[in-house]
Amino acid sequence: MPDNRALDGTIRKFFSPDVGIGIARYILSFAGVLILGSILIMAQGEDPIRAARLIVYGALGNLVAIGNSLRWAMPCMLTGAASIIAMKSGVINLGIEGQMYVGAFTAAVLGWAVRLPPGVHVVVCIAGAGIAGVAWAIVPALMRLFLSVNEYVTTMMMNFIATLFCDYFVVWMIIPSSGITTTTAATPPIASGARLSTLIKGTSCSTGLIIGIAVCLLVCILYKYTIKGYELKQVGENLKFAKTGGVNVKKTFIIIFVLSGFLGGLSGGVEVTGGYYRYVSGFSYTMGWEGIMIANICNNNPIGLIFASIVWGGLKTGAMSMERGTTLNRLTVNLLQMFFVILVSINYEGIFRYFADRMKKRRQARRFLEGENRGGKSACSGM
Amino acid sequence: MFWDVIGTCLSPVAAAAALRLSCPLIIGSTGGCFNEKTSTGNLAYECFMLTGAFFGAYGSYLTGSPLMGSLLAIVSGLVLAAIYGVLVYHLNCNAIIVSVAYNSAAWALTTLLLVVVWNTRGQFNDPSIVSYSNLEWAFLKPFPALDMIFNYNILMVYFAFAFTFIGYIVMYKTPFGLRLRGVGINPDAAQAAGINVRKYRWICLIIMGASMGLAGSYMPLCGMSLFSENMTRGRGFLCLTSTLVGKGHPIRTMFVALLFGYANAMTLVLSTYGIPTQIIGMLPYVMVLIVLLSVGIKNYKGGADISGDTL
Repeated sequence: MPDNRALDGTIRKFFSPDVGIGIARYILSFAGVLILGSILIMAQGEDPIRAARLIVYGALGNLVAIGNSLRWAMPCMLTGAASIIAMKSGVINLGIEGQMYVGAFTAAVLGWAVRLPPGVHVVVCIAGAGIAGVAWAIVPALMRLFLSVNEYVTTMMMNFIATLFCDYFVVWMIIPSSGITTTTAATPPIASGARLSTLIKGTSCSTGLIIGIAVCLLVCILYKYTIKGYELKQVGENLKFAKTGGVNVKKTFIIIFVLSGFLGGLSGGVEVTGGYYRYVSGFSYTMGWEGIMIANICNNNPIGLIFASIVWGGLKTGAMSMERGTTLNRLTVNLLQMFFVILVSINYEGIFRYFADRMKKRRQARRFLEGENRGGKSACSGM
Repeated sequence: MFWDVIGTCLSPVAAAAALRLSCPLIIGSTGGCFNEKTSTGNLAYECFMLTGAFFGAYGSYLTGSPLMGSLLAIVSGLVLAAIYGVLVYHLNCNAIIVSVAYNSAAWALTTLLLVVVWNTRGQFNDPSIVSYSNLEWAFLKPFPALDMIFNYNILMVYFAFAFTFIGYIVMYKTPFGLRLRGVGINPDAAQAAGINVRKYRWICLIIMGASMGLAGSYMPLCGMSLFSENMTRGRGFLCLTSTLVGKGHPIRTMFVALLFGYANAMTLVLSTYGIPTQIIGMLPYVMVLIVLLSVGIKNYKGGADISGDTL
């Protein structure tokens, strides 16, 4: 009976120790964060339970709160997907932040300076953002490929250059030419035709959310069902095998960077067309780095990424409500998120195996000793 | 104007500023050399430096002595390094993820501490944060250029060069250094030769944490007497880059750090000429890319490949 066997397999898979450890990993990390968080909040003289209630209420309390949570989940999905593509192929793209800035800047300029029919305009803005991200990511890729310069230094330096580069254009080119006076370094707002429509009224949750979820699903399909995805993964997992198997490693390497950079730029474009409606200097505030961490939380699983991003966005919105309701700073939540990232990345499986191994060895030793004792006695009696 | 700019770039004023600004980079990257040589995979330089800066200011604020401030900064670096070591070597976390989380957490942690301890946001400026006093050397007075560059510096600037030299001697002239380099080149072979690889990685991590903490404490205690949010502004990343470009050789790394310090000094010197601050601010980072490019071109073997050693 094949059906029964399949069902049996599924059940066994779900109750196997590996899945158990996978779930325990999150539960243990969450418990750890709760304990550390309570200590941290009590140290600042506040009630942890009240703070937690405010966070949950601020994230899920009403439709506006949910909309805001989803709005902050949107960039996390895209930066997370960019990071997943790089991580799965063993490439370290620490430059998502920079790609995001360049993308956002490009989208803002295209949305402000170009006049196009409404539907086309958004697409042009977002595509332009993605292409700008690719342009920013291709420099480290070429340097790694031709000059074997380690990509994590170059991508990181490109971050700093990107923020300053965009600020330079905004402050010295765009603000003087547009003739408006602003106190913040920001471009003029983009045309109404270049904006993504809002999904939930009264919030800035836009169609960008659908783009984010679609990207996650596409990444999932790419890795699960296509040959290209298998090649990309193979380059990361076993370079020699990929080479022997006939994968064009150089081309694949460039593809990894192009895809990762495109998604990085896209996240910036969606932020501008769906969130801020203009480029604001320093808008991201470590959003690009968060992508790397969220990708690690969900263990490089694109479907898990959707849920992790929603939780992450919820925490961000909840933190703001907590800051309003208590004397606590919202950075407390930020710090706890980092704790969670670190705790989740602990190799619980290895620890479990280590202890299981030790128990097994001890049991074997005891059995061996018992056997020897009995054997020794019999030998004695034999004499 | 062009010749003015060139003249200013080569003037003793620029050199003096470069020396002062490269001091934390030199101290930090010398510690980083040990980290790099044993390939611990630690990228959290920025975190150690920023926390070092905060605790340097805090220690000085509490005790009124800059030396105690530096000591507290070193202790903070040690504690963070110890946590990192436990997480990465004993609990098998991914080193890069922990580093990224560390770097992000440092900003949150120091800003939070700024609010909790001093109840301000942004920056805290107070005369109670006692800085190091400048040292004066009478024998340098007759030479104006040398006087401007090497005189009136705080103790730490001289210490930085001594520290690099000590680092070089330890790494290249002692049995400990030989084993340490062996661990970096081939951990398995080192293990087979009877070297405790984990012990050496731990020692190097501790050295790195302490020196990054010390480097961080330079910033609030070099005469400004203030701590501001995200004070290091990517200097930790510059430390990391200079160790990578110098390939973990302390003397070579020192020269790279001096170059980055010089680029940093340009940002101060050139802003008087009306050049946009954003363009000048890019200089250190562009310099990193140029250095990496030139080293890469020098080592260029022809053709493209992604396996093999990276820079």
